[in-house]
Amino acid sequence: WKKEEFRNCNQTPFCKRARSRTPGSSDLIATHVAITDGDLTANLIPKSQSESNPKPLILTLSVFQDGILRLKIDEDPSLNPPKKRFQVPDVVVSQFSDTKLWLQRLTSEDDGLSYAVYLSDGYSAVLRHDPFELFIRDDNSGDRVISFNSHGLFDFEHLREKNEDENWEETFRSHTDKRPYGPQSISFDVSFYDADFVYGIPERATSLALKPTRGPNVEESEPYRLFNLDVFEYIHESPFGLYGSIPFMLSHGKARGTSGFFWLNAAEMQIDVLAPGWDAESGISLPSSQNRIDTMWMSEAGVVDAFFFVGPRPKDVLRQYAAVTGPSALPQMFAVAYHQCRWNYRDEEDVENVDAKFDEYDIPYDILWLDIEHTNGKRYFTWDRVLFPNPEEMQRKLAAKGRHMVTIVDPHIKRDDNFHLHKEASEKGYYVKDSSGNDFDGWCWPGSSSYADTLSPEIRSWWADKFSYQSYVGSTPSLYIWNDMNEPSVFNGPEVTMPRDALHYGGVEHRELHNAYGYYFHMATAEGLVRRGEGKDRPFVLSRALFAGSQRYGAVWTGDNTADWDQLRVSVPMVLTLGLTGMSFAGADVGGFFGNPETELLVRWYQLGAFYPFFRAHAHHDTKRREPWLFGERNTGLIRDAIHVRYALLPYFYTLFREANTTGVPVARPIWMEFPSDEATFSNDEAFMVGNSILVQGIYTERAKHASVYLPGKQSWYDLRTGTVYKGGVTHKLEVTEESIPAFQRGGTILPRKDRFRRSSTQMTNDPFTLVIALNSSQAAEGELYIDDGSSFGFLEGAFIHRRFIFANGKLTSVDLAPTSGGNVSHRSDVVIERIILLGHTPGSKNALIEPSNQKVDIELGPLWVQRERSPVFMTIRKPNVRVAEDWTIKIL
Amino acid sequence: SKPLDPFLGIAPQDVKYFKTHDVIRCRDGSANFIKDQLNDDFCDCPDGTDEPGTSACPRGKFYCQNAGHAPVYLFSSRVNDGICDCCDGSDEYDGQEKCLNTCWEAGKVARDKLRKKIATYQEGVKLRKQEIEQAKLSMEKDGAELSKLKNEESILKGVVKQLKDHKEQIEKIEEKERLQKEKEEKEKKEAEEKASEKTIKVDEEDTKHEDEAETDSHSEDNTVASNHDKIEVQEDSLVQEDEAGEKLADTLDNSVEVTDAPGSEGSLLNQVEENAKEAEREPAVESEIDLTTGKTESSSEVINTGRDVSENTDGLSKEELGRLIASRWVKEDVVKEDVGARSAEADTALDNEYQEDIAHGTTNGESEGYASETDDENNKYDEDVNDDEFHDDENDDLSSSYKSDIETEPDLSDFSTTEDPSWLEKIQKSVWNIFQSVNIFQTPVNQSDAARIHKEYDESSTKLSKIQSRISSLTQKQKLDFGPAKEFYSFYGRCFESKQNKYTYKVCPYKQATQEEGHSTTRLGGWDKFEDSHKVMVFSSGDKCWNGPDRSLKVKLKCGLSNEITDVDEPSRCEYVALLATPALCQEEKLKELQQKLDLLNSEQPGSHDEL
Repeated sequence: WKKEEFRNCNQTPFCKRARSRTPGSSDLIATHVAITDGDLTANLIPKSQSESNPKPLILTLSVFQDGILRLKIDEDPSLNPPKKRFQVPDVVVSQFSDTKLWLQRLTSEDDGLSYAVYLSDGYSAVLRHDPFELFIRDDNSGDRVISFNSHGLFDFEHLREKNEDENWEETFRSHTDKRPYGPQSISFDVSFYDADFVYGIPERATSLALKPTRGPNVEESEPYRLFNLDVFEYIHESPFGLYGSIPFMLSHGKARGTSGFFWLNAAEMQIDVLAPGWDAESGISLPSSQNRIDTMWMSEAGVVDAFFFVGPRPKDVLRQYAAVTGPSALPQMFAVAYHQCRWNYRDEEDVENVDAKFDEYDIPYDILWLDIEHTNGKRYFTWDRVLFPNPEEMQRKLAAKGRHMVTIVDPHIKRDDNFHLHKEASEKGYYVKDSSGNDFDGWCWPGSSSYADTLSPEIRSWWADKFSYQSYVGSTPSLYIWNDMNEPSVFNGPEVTMPRDALHYGGVEHRELHNAYGYYFHMATAEGLVRRGEGKDRPFVLSRALFAGSQRYGAVWTGDNTADWDQLRVSVPMVLTLGLTGMSFAGADVGGFFGNPETELLVRWYQLGAFYPFFRAHAHHDTKRREPWLFGERNTGLIRDAIHVRYALLPYFYTLFREANTTGVPVARPIWMEFPSDEATFSNDEAFMVGNSILVQGIYTERAKHASVYLPGKQSWYDLRTGTVYKGGVTHKLEVTEESIPAFQRGGTILPRKDRFRRSSTQMTNDPFTLVIALNSSQAAEGELYIDDGSSFGFLEGAFIHRRFIFANGKLTSVDLAPTSGGNVSHRSDVVIERIILLGHTPGSKNALIEPSNQKVDIELGPLWVQRERSPVFMTIRKPNVRVAEDWTIKIL
Repeated sequence: SKPLDPFLGIAPQDVKYFKTHDVIRCRDGSANFIKDQLNDDFCDCPDGTDEPGTSACPRGKFYCQNAGHAPVYLFSSRVNDGICDCCDGSDEYDGQEKCLNTCWEAGKVARDKLRKKIATYQEGVKLRKQEIEQAKLSMEKDGAELSKLKNEESILKGVVKQLKDHKEQIEKIEEKERLQKEKEEKEKKEAEEKASEKTIKVDEEDTKHEDEAETDSHSEDNTVASNHDKIEVQEDSLVQEDEAGEKLADTLDNSVEVTDAPGSEGSLLNQVEENAKEAEREPAVESEIDLTTGKTESSSEVINTGRDVSENTDGLSKEELGRLIASRWVKEDVVKEDVGARSAEADTALDNEYQEDIAHGTTNGESEGYASETDDENNKYDEDVNDDEFHDDENDDLSSSYKSDIETEPDLSDFSTTEDPSWLEKIQKSVWNIFQSVNIFQTPVNQSDAARIHKEYDESSTKLSKIQSRISSLTQKQKLDFGPAKEFYSFYGRCFESKQNKYTYKVCPYKQATQEEGHSTTRLGGWDKFEDSHKVMVFSSGDKCWNGPDRSLKVKLKCGLSNEITDVDEPSRCEYVALLATPALCQEEKLKELQQKLDLLNSEQPGSHDEL
């Protein structure tokens, strides 16, 4: 972490200016308020007509289904501004516009200063014209939900011609930004009402609940920064922005629930969370009956294109956000399993040995990764033919065991005239240009490099074609892709990235789209894999940079973390925050990228990482080898067990990924998402929920003997490992062993498992299921299971099985959740349930009756985990062997 | 799914366990199960006893007969997983995957391989025996030499002592004579004193000189005297030694009568310097490396500390800046490129250090710990003879002196084993003669007698120190771990080389291991120990790695007919692994094992395939 190499707010003129503004300094009023084409439109002009010919800003307010409000503010294009301001394309999903509600009428409010429009049942959007302010109102209570410019901090710097005595250049360290268009920043305040905490705006290493950055009684800090950067050895606690940016914030409070605000803007952004009382001297009064969190948003360029989500439950906001940016893609089954990575598995022999060792030690894994050293001189799509003479053969050997491989493809292209990719890209003019219009030339792994301009759809299409088997020589159908360095990382650029005055397709300045550069690259790569598989094979692409919408293209991880306990700890809020902002498929490098973890830390990391949505071990190439079998029999066993837990739970994880795919609700969730009115959970980021059924608490200290775990709700919790019952709504001081971290199944849920551990998930396809039924106080429970072929897009046409299992009144029923009509394809499966374990059931029953087959089966005491010695035993229905694809009931006799 | 054969996956010798009773006990005693539950594709025993033939128990083991090849136990998770694991295909029976029986072909390959291995072992066992015999002889020889040397040492000590006494006696007389002479001259001068005042002044200065001379010669005595005892003396601070050296040099400067004074003076000073340098060498070289290869680090650190240095980065060209940032992730590689010429310097520095080491090793013998102190003393004070030798060694061809490591031990050939064994008697005799012919109480001292005694003394004490050095080196050697049968004795003083791509690896057991690329040498480690019942040699604490551990090397040993490094690898950064084939590992018991294994394979063949 080299603090001096990065700009702080004070060194960033737009941020410094915005932060020094005082409440009420905006004097804009809204005029010409009207309904036009189903939108509310208005002009924003300064109230004090000091300028003789003020240029108005054009405001457009649109309403969409499910309580989504979109606000756009831009310059008036008819007044010929010097340049069209950048609006981020291809992030809002195309279906979203279909959900627009055509506004019919404008209601004038009683105060005579405001107009209201319908937003959704029980909510209105209210525009006050003097001074300009916008808020959402709960019509039943009259309370505010969320508001814009209530503190009069809105500022919009119009593009203009340069005065002769002006110098717009900005210099940071040795870099000069020419800034040919001068100041064009935008800033405003947003207030969240009935909010106890705000969350979101990744990516950074900090707490889940965002701490105030300014205001009385808080330690003044930098604003939260959103600027995608390749940060060397980032620290575990900082408001500083890392590899990705999602300008989406959620608020949550006990009194009302959840709301959200998303600003679609890809320029550098800085956000202050203001502590109560920060505006004590402003003289602006807002409803004091509601808890409020005020925030200040500042961006270097772009337009206002903001979305307000009314919630009110946490999952509602996730669904509303997913309606705008899309839900996360459903990954292939293998991608949900365990990934083995290292910078670098050196050659084919190394790959073969590592692969063989996993089998020797009976540890499952699905994907082996190759980092940059596998290429010929960091030319992606090529192989170092000395180290990897037969890449196809190598991949086929892995594929024969159902395993996959991932190779790295970064956006920097080596400037080597003999490299076909470079030759083609430069001839076609497909590179990002520098400020003088030449191909931008920056330094990265291969040395002098240029960067494909994937903002352009044409260039994305060209890039996507590079993944065809013909073009990517040595690739096979079991090979998938990793995009690294796509912030973009430019070693000799300002703040290790591309200069802001570099030019993209359509004359867009890099400053305007910086945070979305990696997103477009990720998109193009994923598209390449879809094309390669002729639309039949779901892509897997891991990206380091990310932006709103990245969830549609693949997985992300938290970048180059470090092997220490603090970073293990912070990985949880980082992954949870990504999930809250739509990026469900996220994880941190297990073991820590930099440095050598002590064995205990590595084991603890595996135990926690097994519950990350994306579960990959990775290590820097200067670190000691740390494959699971290198730390003695005992530790190998512990790591194997952690990985086994993940494989056992794959059916559950996969079902959760499908849920994320249809609802936007993340796989890993803050506890408050499941227990929205339990205040004790609001700032808990040491523990989290996997789906609605499992609560996990990491162990973040050495030689921990005890852990305090808060188990929310009224129902009991069952230790995942031992089945021991714990009361809900209590903080338990638990003994901790090295064997596992605390993890619990919530009473009232049913977990689907697969307890046979194969070499990889591929061989588990036909294995039977185990159901673990954890009963609640009414001796009832529910759970879901989603199954498809694990790889194709057939599920989109209905080729899947989706069951709900309901246990009540001593009877387990399997109900079809798949829509009966619709798809003409179906997913066939003969897979059966071999074991049903009942936790919390009164003992005594000896038999169960299966209907409709009218067959009796035994009930006996069986182990909770068959693979473990001395596993506690519970009431187990032995070999019901009912098919998961069918309807049935099992009645306990 | 259930197998057709109810006893699938059970080894023949275990079938009885399952057939005898209707209720069967899980092997871990945790539960019982009935016959119907055997291989019914549901796990009833946590240890997998009831499901040897299905994948139902995660901890189960599946036995494949593999007739024609070796039987194998599989993890039961391999059963019906769509992958043919057993060469007889018995692990895949659910109809998803058809497996061919490949046991006969696979078995043949395995048996052929085993036969070849056995042949190697048969030959290797003989070689190993020879080695052990040879080692026994050599060790006896070493032992004999040692006891002989010890005997010679004690005799020679006596001789040296006598010579020393004589020498000191003569020196005393000489001193007396000199003082007498001075006194006479003084009186003579005093007589002339009255002539003028000027003379007085001169005289005063003279007196002063004389005083000085007196002190100096005195100090010389001390030095020489202490030198005799030096071998026993453990540690004198370098400063003291330096002082002593300087004083001695001063004395010599004042031309006290010492043979070969000018020469010894020069060499003496050199020696002192040399020693001082050597003492400083290691840290000096280290810091040099820091400066050169550490360029990037220092500059990036500097950025950290403040503006001044951030200006430094600002001064960098774009390319330099790119390399600098890149180097954070890939320190060593980029740094090498980055610094270019400067790293070559560092390499040279390393080379120098290494050469220094060799030169040092040459004079000091094998073991650093003990020999360095005594031998340093020798270098310093046994001016003439030893000095010549020292220079000779320095001029030696480095590579040859390195490779023929054993010859770099102190060369005692001129007066030890090879030459006429009566050299000691000769010395004793000539010393006796001297004592007979020289009257040390004679005044004035006979100059030629004095010279003879000096010469005899110098020669004898040189020889004594050489013998002592050889004794220490032999003693050290005897302490080394040559294996339970001394089968590694011949590794002493030898190096094994292997070229892998651009690198040459040199493994010198009991000494060190290096990696050479062109002129640059990287130390992978110094000799540490044997590990894993003498199957692995460990070299540790090698050159430091950037952002990594100190380099280390493990040499895995396997049976082979000649000592040969067959592979070098770096599985983890800066942790090297090499493979060394050597007869020393061709153990007879292992041969028997292999033969038994082959017999077993042959006996299990179906039909009567006569392969031999």
